Formats: sequence, structure tokens, C-alpha cells
Amino acid sequence: MTIAAPKSSALIDPQFMSRLDQLDILSRKLLAGKLKGERRSKRRGQSVEFADYRNYTVGDDLRFIDWNIYARLDKLFLKLFLEEEDLSLYILLDTSASTNYGQPNKSLYIKQVAAALAYIGLVNYNRVTLAAMADGIVAESGALRGKRRVAQMIDWISKLQPSGPSLFAESCKRFALSNRNKGVCVVLSDFFDKGGFENGLRYLAGGRYDLFCVQTLCPQEIDPDLQGDLKLRDIEDDDMAEVSITQPLIKKYKANLNAYCLSLKEYLSRRGGTYLFSSTTVPFDTLVLNYLRERGLLG
Amino acid sequence: MTFPTFLNPWYAAAAAAATIPPLILLYFLKLRRREMPVSSTILWKKAIVDLQVNAPFQKLRRNLLLILQLLLLILLLLALSRPIISYAKGAGRSTVILIDRSASMAAKDGLEGKGTRLDEAKARAKSLVDTLDRSAQAMVIAFDDSAETVQPFTADTVSLKNAIDSIKQTDRKSRLKLAYQLAEAQTNFNPDQLRSIGPRPDVRVYSDGRVLDATDLSIHADVTYEKIGSDKSANIGIVALSARRNYERPTEVQVFARLANFGPDPTTADVQLTVDGAIQPHIGTVSLLPERWDDQQRKEAEAKGQLPRDGVEFTLDLSTAAVVRVEQMNKTGDVLAADDFAQVTVPPPKDLSVLLVTTGADPFMQHAFDSLGLQKVTTMSPSDYEQKKPAVGDFDVIVFDAVKPGYLPDSGNFVDVGVVPDHLKIHAAMKNGKMEVNPDIVGVLDWKRDHTIFRDVNMHKVASSNVMKLEVAPEDEILADSTYGPLVVLHREGLQTHLVIAFDMLDSTWPTPYAGSAFPLFWYNAMKFLALGSDIDIHQSNEPGATPRIPRMILEHAARGAKSIKLIDPTGHASVIPIPAAGDFALPALDHVGIYTTDPALGPFEHIAVNLLDPVESNVLPAEKAPGGIGETTASGPIKARLELWWWLTACAALPLLMIEWWVYTRRVHM
Repeated sequence: MTIAAPKSSALIDPQFMSRLDQLDILSRKLLAGKLKGERRSKRRGQSVEFADYRNYTVGDDLRFIDWNIYARLDKLFLKLFLEEEDLSLYILLDTSASTNYGQPNKSLYIKQVAAALAYIGLVNYNRVTLAAMADGIVAESGALRGKRRVAQMIDWISKLQPSGPSLFAESCKRFALSNRNKGVCVVLSDFFDKGGFENGLRYLAGGRYDLFCVQTLCPQEIDPDLQGDLKLRDIEDDDMAEVSITQPLIKKYKANLNAYCLSLKEYLSRRGGTYLFSSTTVPFDTLVLNYLRERGLLG
Repeated sequence: MTFPTFLNPWYAAAAAAATIPPLILLYFLKLRRREMPVSSTILWKKAIVDLQVNAPFQKLRRNLLLILQLLLLILLLLALSRPIISYAKGAGRSTVILIDRSASMAAKDGLEGKGTRLDEAKARAKSLVDTLDRSAQAMVIAFDDSAETVQPFTADTVSLKNAIDSIKQTDRKSRLKLAYQLAEAQTNFNPDQLRSIGPRPDVRVYSDGRVLDATDLSIHADVTYEKIGSDKSANIGIVALSARRNYERPTEVQVFARLANFGPDPTTADVQLTVDGAIQPHIGTVSLLPERWDDQQRKEAEAKGQLPRDGVEFTLDLSTAAVVRVEQMNKTGDVLAADDFAQVTVPPPKDLSVLLVTTGADPFMQHAFDSLGLQKVTTMSPSDYEQKKPAVGDFDVIVFDAVKPGYLPDSGNFVDVGVVPDHLKIHAAMKNGKMEVNPDIVGVLDWKRDHTIFRDVNMHKVASSNVMKLEVAPEDEILADSTYGPLVVLHREGLQTHLVIAFDMLDSTWPTPYAGSAFPLFWYNAMKFLALGSDIDIHQSNEPGATPRIPRMILEHAARGAKSIKLIDPTGHASVIPIPAAGDFALPALDHVGIYTTDPALGPFEHIAVNLLDPVESNVLPAEKAPGGIGETTASGPIKARLELWWWLTACAALPLLMIEWWVYTRRVHM
């Protein structure tokens, strides 16, 4: 069921890139950027884009007083403009061995989505940080900014090889400790961790990050086509599960999967995060252009 | 109906031990699972746990195929162990099967009219053998008036059945006592400890219950009487037959026959007479009331005019020996053929030729012989006798009346009264060179009342003085004895037979009226016995199983020096009987009714008639209660003793199970 690692050119094609140019990363939170960026922040700032008025108070910059209002109303109002600042976009890719499974392959799918999101971030002068997690943070791209970093970003993603066990909690902890800036955090994973997803998401949800979790599963996981007496081997840790495939077992598996996804969704909802489920059969551009927009990650 | 029992439990257990572990092993071998990589086992394991928690029998369900296979195997093993359901009480651990093979068992009302009673007895006995457990054993005894162990104790049912099949019908009478003794000896009795050992055996008596010795029976066992035969069977049997020559007119023969009706209804029958195979014009008719009727019923019948007449009498004129056969001709519904006819051999009219050697001093002897009505009695003086020296065969009997003969023919019959011829093994005791004689009066102490010579002779009042003291040989037959010694002795030596009387008639009370009719009767019997051999009456007809004893004399007369004779039975089958070098010899048991013939013809034993002539055997009404009241009675009629369940197990359970297994297997494969 494993397939070869994707080639870099297969990650994202130019046509798709051009469509992505029109998108930007949205954050539902007020996130303070370090540098001015191209993103219209919800903070009031010094951009050219009008946002609101407020009463003048002593000490305010006189340049922003709306003199026309003053002429008509004889009151001093201050014009407020949207602040344009940069946004930190953190993309966590699951590169544990379990992602190297399924047809279409989960790993490739995760990489494609990550590349698309990173591309949008870079195009909009956001600070994009990519991190690959398996039994920890196995690779981190460092902060990338600007369209010029797109090639570097794609190259970095392309080199990722799925391997090793999944220690989601450890990975999240490491990531949270090393990236203290606020920002949008997108986690791309199957969230199959024997230690549970809660311990990991605890570090990411409800704090600095505007959290988006995209659970990516392949059709073989969603609707397993198995039969007979099988010894199921976990490709991460070689753990064995002896099963005799019966209709009730399949039914129970699907119910468990559904419950697992729901529990993840609920966990995120309670902590202000956003959950998005995707099968690898859904074309990743559809996911990016439609689903992620609908969920408010992109705009 | 009882719970199922198993005929071959150990076979099945051995087969189970050999097949079940490999099946389970094979199942586990078969369960080597195909390895399949998955991204994570987390959800699968949870699903398995959930299913196991939610369904307590999930493990069983998972192993449904194994369970079905085990069930199928167990069913097949059960079938192998031959479970049965017994309808009848089965055989115990130790069972003695007694099968009656007597004449009445030849009645053709067994197996619901499809066979004889013996056939039914065999069938039912074999059904019983089928119910034997593996640990149980049985033996087979066949009985009539003797008993024979056909098969000693064994657990081998095949041998038992073969033994049962080998039992052959005889026409003999039934006596159960010997069979009971045989059964008891082989089951309970430990000869070393002189006490009974082990549990009481089951004794199954397959019989119609008509035995002669019902009142003498006892047995230490659980007896079950398997009543064989139908209450409604009819049978007319000849129960008595005799043919006698008129003493005064020896060529005239009177034949008497008595018949009895053992059926349920009154009947009549014609009786036909045959002489040497030629049917005589005489026809007798009998009118018979059922023997099973009580006096009240008989009286009622007689009141209605049904007068019973159970005897027929024929008078014939026969100048030679002949076989007279009487047959009842009403065969309608008659189930027993052996008693429908009877025959007797009538000896030729015999004129005894007797020589009396006497001094003439004893008038009693002469009178006695005159009164016997013998055709030819010759009297000689001792000197005439010594001079003429009669040859062998001139006289049937030579009587020496107080005359010691100097000459004796080589063979013949002699009566020595008050003397003992010289050169015989028997002789008078001598004392001081003189014959020892007791001058006192000596009375008869005892005599052989059952011997032919003393039949109807009362010696109680016979006494004598001057009695010789006889020294007898060990093989001599002492017929009358006294405190002083033997008085009358039957002595055989070579081809001579001597009847020695130890006293002179003149010295005794024997010829006097005081002794009653003892004197003429004795001489009548003695003459018949010496001339014709033993049992002058009985040889006319023998009961089945008899072993007639043929005197050496008759054999020597008929076939001198013969080493063997042929005996031809009523069916025409001849068997060769070896003859011992000396002494009398007996024929083998004559088991079947009819006429046996000897070749060469042995005088009065040329034709030997064997007849049933037994009201007990002819009575075809099976006894309701066990013989002698010992044991319980079981229902008659052939019954299927058991039902073998293995076929049902295989067909009704194993086959559907196999189909279910196939369905489950295919369902799982395509799931």
C-alpha cells in the first residue's frame, strides 16, 4: 500500500498557484505581527484602508483627525485605518510512517495541502513556518517570507520522507515551545496516535494559535476492503491485531472511526479550533479552494 | 423405552481421542492469518474490544466454524458408538439364554405364523444379544430333556448369534431342571469356595413353558420367561398308542390309540391305520373337546350332545412282524406335526421253545410251564439231555431243575434252579470240599422290582431253606437278595445267559399259594426276557431321545462279528454306529419321531419306533406363567428390541450441520 514519495513538481502546479494568488490566510484572532505585512489586520493601524472613527483624545496623532467632520459637526473625530501587518502561519505536517499509506497516498496529499497553504502564506508576505512531525519535530523550515521563498518551501516539503512512529503529543509540545509567536497553526495529520490527540492539541489549542486541524484519511481507512482472517500490522510500530473480518467488526470499526473523528472535532470546537475532515479521494485543490475557504482559513 | 445406550463406546472414545485434537490443531493451523499492513491498529483493536465487550459469545461466534466442525465430528463419533434406544429390557451384565428345542417348539405358530416357535425363540434371543453392552456377556444353552451348552460365556455377539442359529429342533420332551442346573453351575457357583459368587445372572427362557418337571425347578437367578407361541393355535395329538398280540391268538393284534385336542375349540378327526406303509381300510373317528376346558365347560358341552370320544381301537391280523402306524387326518390349523402320527413295531408271533431238564421230582415246574401256554415245551431227563446234547438254537431256553448239566451248548439261555453249572465265573461257595448250604429258612430281603423279570412279581412271601451260597462275578446282575447272599442272579458269560436261582423250588414257598401269583408271573417274565431280550414291551415304542440298549446276544444272532451297523433315521439319513468288542451296546439318542431302521436287521430292533406320545409336549397352549412359577413372563410376539440411532444421527443431524457449516464458511469468505 506504500507508494513512492512524491516528486517536487507533483506537489503543486503553476496553474493552481495562480489561482492561489488570490487567496490569503485569515485569522479569527487578533494576532500581532512583528513586521508590517500585506495582511489587513484587524488591528487599527496605518494602512490606507479606512476602518472606523473614534473620538479624539489628547495625544492622538493630529494627522488622522477628519477635518471634514470637524467642519460639519465641530467635533474632533479621529479616522482609524486597518493595520497592515504580517501573519505567522505555522503548518505542521505529519510525516510519521502511518501517513505513507493508502491510495491516493496520505503523505502526498498532506504535502500538497501544506504546499498550497504555505504558498498562499508566502505570497501574502506572511511568516510561514513549516514543521514535520513524527516522533518529534523531525524537520522545521524556519520562518519563510515572501514569494521568493516559494521554491525553497516546495523543495523543503518535497524532501520530507514519511518514517518513524507518531509521537503527536511530544511533537506538539516541541513545536509550541519553539514557536511562541502568535499565528495561524494548521495541523495536517491523520491524528492516529496511540497516545491520543488530546495531549498534543493541548499545546496548540486555545492559546497563541488560531488552530486548524485537517484530518486526512485515505479511503482504505474510511471504508476498509478487507476479508478473511487477518493479522493487521501497524506500519508504525509493527503492532499486530488479529482479526477475523466479519460484518459486525467492519461496522464497529466504522463506528469507532466516526466517533474518533467526532471527538477530535468536538475537542477542537470547545477550544476554538477548527476541524476539517478530508479523504484523499477529494482533490486537494478542491479542499484548498473550497473547503478551507468555507471554514474561514482562507479568504 | 429407555435412554439411549451405546454398543461401541470405546471405539468412539478411541476415535474421538484420535480425531478431535488433530481437528482443533488443524483449525489453529488453518488460522494462520494473512498479514496486512494498516496505518494504525488503534481503531481495529478498539473495535475488537468493543465487540468482545458487547457480545459475550463473540469468541464463540468467531470460532463458529470450529464449533460446527467439532459438533459434526462429535455427531459422527456418536454414530460410531452405535447409540440405541431399547424398547425391551436389555440383557444384563451376565445373561444365560435358554432356548427350548423340544418337540412342542416345532409348532408352526411362531413369528406370527411365518415360522416355528424355535424360529421365533431364536429371533428374539438374537434381538436380546443385540442389546448386550460391551461389558456384558452371555451364554447359550439349548435344552429339551437334556441340556447342552451351545456357547459358553462370551461378549462376542457374532459367536452368540451363530450359536443360537446352530440350535436344531429335536422331537424330545422338555425338562428344564437340567438346564437350570447347568446355567447355575456356570454363573454362580464357585466350586473352589463352594458358594455363590458374583451378582445374580439374568436367565432368559425362550420356551412355550410346557415342561415336564415344572414342580422340581429352582434356580438362584433372575429368570425371565419369554413366552413363545399363540394361545389360539390348534393341535390334535396322539397321546397314547399300544399294539399287542392276543396272547391266545398270537396273530391277532389289537391297536389302541388315544388322542387329545389342545386347540381352543371342539373338533373331530379321522384316524387312519397303516401297516408297513399300506393304508388299511379301518378308519376310526374321534370327537374331542379342548383339553383346556374345565369340567364345567365339558359338562355344558356334553349336555348339548357333544359327547367326547378320544380313543380308537383297531384289530388286525398280523402273522409277521410289522410297523403299525396311526395318523390323525384333521390337519386344519394343526400347528404341530410330530404328534399327528405314531407307530409301533409289532414283534412276530413268537412260539417259545423251552427245554425242561428235570428229574421229575418237582411237579410245580411242570405245572408252571403248562400254565404259560407255550407252544412247545420239551421235558427231558438228565440222562436224555446228556445223551442228545441239544445244539445251539434247538431251544430258546433250557431250564435245569435241580440238575447240574455236564454239557452246555456254546450259546443260549439257561435257567439254573438250585444248581450252578461248572466252568462258569459264578459258582457255589465251597466249604471243606462240600457246597456251602444254609439249612435255615432264608427270606427274600429285596428284589429288583423294576427289572422285566420281576415286573408285577411280589417276592415278599418267598422263603427257602437249603440255600446255596453264591459267589458272583462283579458284572453279574443280582435280581433278588437275602441276608445269606444272592438268591436270583442274571449271569452273562460269552454267548450264554444264565438265570441262576440259589435254591430248589421244592425247598421254598415260592410255588405255593402262600406266595400268591409270584411263581407263574416270574416264569412268564423270565421266558419272555430270555427269549426276546430286555424290555419286551417298551421296544415297541421309544420316546424321543431314547438310547435303546441292544443285547449282545441279539447282535451276535443277527451279525456275528460285525464291527459296525448302519442306523437309518426317519428322514432316510444313514449313520454308521461302531460296535464295541464286547458287551451290549446302546444306539445313539433317537431324537426324531418316526421309524429308525438298523442295517443289518437286528431282530426285534430292526425297526425302532420313536413317538412323542406326550400330552405335555402336544399341548401347544403356551404356559401363562414361567415354569415352576420362577421368574416373570414377558409379552409374546416378535418385537423389535431396539432402534439403532446412528443412521438418524448421521442423516438428520450431521448432514444439516454440514450444510450450515458450508453456509457459514461461504458467508464469511464473501463478507
